[in-house]
Amino acid sequence: MAEPEIQQLLGVGLIEKDTNGDALWVWCYPSTTAEMRDLLLRKCCLTDENKLLHTFVFGQYRRSWFYITTVEVQDTSVLKKVTHFSIVLTAKDFNPEKYAAFTRILCRIYLKHGSPVKMMESYIAVFTKGICQSEENGSFLSKDFDARKAYLAGSIKDIVSQFGMETVILFTALMLKKRIVVYHPRIEVVQEFTRTLPALVWHRQDWSILHSYVHLNDDELEALKTCTGYIAGFIDSKVSNRLDLYDVCVNLADSEITISQQAKEAMTMGKLHKEIGQLIVQSAEDPDKSDSQVIKVSLFYV
Amino acid sequence: MDEVDKILIHSLRLSGTQVPEEVQSLQEFTTELIVESVVRCLRVIHPSLGTSLSHVLPPGMSARFRIGTSLAQACQELGYQGEVGYQTFLYSSEPEIRRLLLFLVEKLPRDDAEDARQPAGKSAGLLRAIAAKIKEELGTPWVPPACRTPRLQRLQVGPPPPQIQTHVSSQRALYPPHSRPSPRAGLRQQRLALGGREQTLQVKSRALELLPQAENNLAKLQLLVESSAQRLVHLAAQWETRRGPLMDQYRHLRAARHSCQLESTRRVSEIQALHERGRSAATEARRKEELCRQLLTELESLPKDVSRAAYTQRILEIVGNIRKQKEEITKILSATRALQKEINSLTGKLDRTFAVTDELVFKDAKRDESVRKAYKYLAALHENCSQLIQTIEDAGAIQREIRDLEEQVRVAGVGPGGWGAPRGPPSSSTEGVNMPPQIESEGAKKTLANLERILSDYRALRQENAALLGRSRDP
Repeated sequence: MAEPEIQQLLGVGLIEKDTNGDALWVWCYPSTTAEMRDLLLRKCCLTDENKLLHTFVFGQYRRSWFYITTVEVQDTSVLKKVTHFSIVLTAKDFNPEKYAAFTRILCRIYLKHGSPVKMMESYIAVFTKGICQSEENGSFLSKDFDARKAYLAGSIKDIVSQFGMETVILFTALMLKKRIVVYHPRIEVVQEFTRTLPALVWHRQDWSILHSYVHLNDDELEALKTCTGYIAGFIDSKVSNRLDLYDVCVNLADSEITISQQAKEAMTMGKLHKEIGQLIVQSAEDPDKSDSQVIKVSLFYV
Repeated sequence: MDEVDKILIHSLRLSGTQVPEEVQSLQEFTTELIVESVVRCLRVIHPSLGTSLSHVLPPGMSARFRIGTSLAQACQELGYQGEVGYQTFLYSSEPEIRRLLLFLVEKLPRDDAEDARQPAGKSAGLLRAIAAKIKEELGTPWVPPACRTPRLQRLQVGPPPPQIQTHVSSQRALYPPHSRPSPRAGLRQQRLALGGREQTLQVKSRALELLPQAENNLAKLQLLVESSAQRLVHLAAQWETRRGPLMDQYRHLRAARHSCQLESTRRVSEIQALHERGRSAATEARRKEELCRQLLTELESLPKDVSRAAYTQRILEIVGNIRKQKEEITKILSATRALQKEINSLTGKLDRTFAVTDELVFKDAKRDESVRKAYKYLAALHENCSQLIQTIEDAGAIQREIRDLEEQVRVAGVGPGGWGAPRGPPSSSTEGVNMPPQIESEGAKKTLANLERILSDYRALRQENAALLGRSRDP
């Protein structure tokens, strides 16, 4: 028997896009609120006509994490009137790899059987026992996906290579619990970048500040404003005009970091910061050092 | 008054004055006590002012007097507006003292960090503990007894002792309440936290109960979980049997609605096209009517003397005549062609016949004299006949030339603007040329006129030449 661990799963849901072009919530377990339904419809890429398919997106809303895998249905499948569908998983913990693997398995089950009942069996199996059979003669083991592995999965070296010395601005902002907003037109890039940022302040090991996929929608922004410090990822370029939302704005497309006027005073940096920055850049450039070692360097100054 | 006194006494106690327990109002204050409280207050408010003064009233009158005046001075320096002097302290009256103490207590700094400035004393530690406790109490929002966690219960339980009670009320009166912003939100959070805690408490207590029979209970729990899971799956299957058809129906209806909408938009566009066509047809009709009216009026305004029918008649006659002429011409052409063909074939026949005859006769001409003569005659005949033919041909050519020239003369004579009567079909070449007198005279007129002009010009030229010659000869 696998060692007991408390499952952090909150629920699973299914959104389908059919031949009429409607994106509908068709099934969920155990239940969702109208608020979450609206939110998740917005997040899954099936509602907009011209948007590309995003295979996997994740984010946070009011302390619940959502993970959405979207799949296109081939003509040969049992699902006759459905063109695409998304499987939504909500959970209390941050672990994109684990829930990506799990939702992929659920997607394959649904594609094969065309009924959510089979999906629910697997869901309950994972929920009660932490293990379920996948369609390809393998099994999904919840304990294979450690939380710590999720924290370390991002690459600090990539961040440092993109921003160089400016990485120390991000480090300072995180240390001071400031509000950071990240923009790039592609959600995958935003997610990858934002999930790695909290590793710079590894001593806190707090990923609850991460909101990797936020829309410029009143409910979401209101929820965001209740947090004192956060990292929020946007794919709408208009976010750079919302000076009320950030202290530091990172434009990944242009590789630019802007500090807002009201935060300039708090974020003034001196010789110490320069030293930290140089050290971080040096250790990131060293090909022998791994990401975790670079993180340890940043810890040195905490 | 009692309340005010109580507040004052407490504030004084806070500042370090050792007010005895039984003293409940300012009336009971002794001179020593008054002096001590004022000095202690001064020490708290303004250490530089207070340290030089002793809080113990010395027995000597002059010393007392000195202290009284210095105290009064200090109070005035602090900004006390009322009358104050040594008498206020040594020969005190209740209202004066009350006013002064109120002023001093108001001046007392309100910072919590003033704890550090309080003099160390055996009661000071207790007071600090009390202050901390009260701060903690004020920091958490009051929760009704039913919703309190054990810790909250301990915090907010029962009526506090009287000193604390009055102090708390005085604090509440003096300082604004801290946790005003969202009592409801705080309450909700408390409730949620409470709910979560109660649940974990229940789970843990149950787990504790089950612990002795761990193995059995674990197996039983697992069975329970299994059965619940199966039940859930079964329920999900049942739900699916309901949900599936409903989804299909919904999708079907949406598709139907979509196609209906398409149909209706198509019809609407058709109707619009028809409207458009109708409108354009109407404008076209109006335009044509307008045009018709215009032309009618124009027609009516045109001169009526000239008959259109006559013109059309003549045109039709001419057209008919031309057609007839064309037919005649075609007939004549075909006749001419047939003739030409006949001529050619005859000529050919003649040549062949003559060649054969010639050869035949020539063969025999060598032997026979008469044949030789015959041959000569044959040759002469052929020669003469061919000359005849040639002459006829020439005559015919000359006739044609004559006709052409006459034609030219006639055309030149008629000129532009003349309408000669149509000529009849050209007669055969053997007949004489008969020009209608009308045309002849017209043509003759024109040519005559031209001729005369040319002649006169010629005469004029000659005269000029002669003149020039004459002038050149006689310079």
